[in-house]
Amino acid sequence: MIDPVPGATLPERSFGPVTATDIVRYQGASGDMNPIHHDDDFARAAGYPAAFSAGMLSAGWLAAYCTEHLGETGVRRYRTRFREVVHRGDTLTASAKVVRVFEVDREQRVELAIRLRKDGDGSVVVDGTAEFALQPQGAQQP
Amino acid sequence: MAVMPIEWGKVREYAQATGAARPEYLDDPHAPIPPTFLATVVFWTPIGESLRSPQVLKACAEAGMEAGRHSLLSLEQEYVYHGALPRAGDRLHASEQLRDVRVKQTRSGRSMVVVRFTVSFHDQPTLQDEQGELRAECRYTSAYLQREHP
Repeated sequence: MIDPVPGATLPERSFGPVTATDIVRYQGASGDMNPIHHDDDFARAAGYPAAFSAGMLSAGWLAAYCTEHLGETGVRRYRTRFREVVHRGDTLTASAKVVRVFEVDREQRVELAIRLRKDGDGSVVVDGTAEFALQPQGAQQP
Repeated sequence: MAVMPIEWGKVREYAQATGAARPEYLDDPHAPIPPTFLATVVFWTPIGESLRSPQVLKACAEAGMEAGRHSLLSLEQEYVYHGALPRAGDRLHASEQLRDVRVKQTRSGRSMVVVRFTVSFHDQPTLQDEQGELRAECRYTSAYLQREHP
């Protein structure tokens, strides 16, 4: 759970080092079989140095990080922007901060600024916002 | 319009592929979906037909670029949920709408055709509600980027 107070942060979580297996497993699960994410020859022909990970895998990791802390049924809005590509071997760190706490139809919600950064140079690969209900329907009172 | 059954096995597979192997997904036959799970709608219907709509092809031609797979970038995805989060066992009806097409310049002076489209997910129609209740929307922002001149 998180302190529903602007400025509160979630404990960071690390993902990776990203492997070819992580990427193909996500591609198989998601149905996006774009070869640019697993086929180096294809990626080079398209002008890239090597295949790079799928942006939606980064978005999925950040989503897992959010649901781990805020519950699996609470998501109301989840927005991610793809900033930089991730390569095999990269290690990533997820972080989140409360931006606002508000109410919609008598439901208490929290909006988080979320971010996934590359370890090392600290570059942001994905950022965005996530809106979660604090006590989603069906959740037990603590 | 395509029907997308939300399957528990698929939810488990997706959760495991995204570092979310938790009992809420793995042990509940009516597991809720992970926040980005609806990306798997592509197993039921091809999406992105908006990216090849006449309006987009015209904008690309005018900007002097090809609307090809190699020049396509995904910039942003947003999922918006209405009412109870979909769960394994639900059947959703998916449909796609083009929102808008804009031509922009990147910082390096290349042209970019930015396309926004939405995939909407409704409950099955009922006698009372011909369209079915809106459960979720996935809003895509994609762009065709002009290749760098050699």
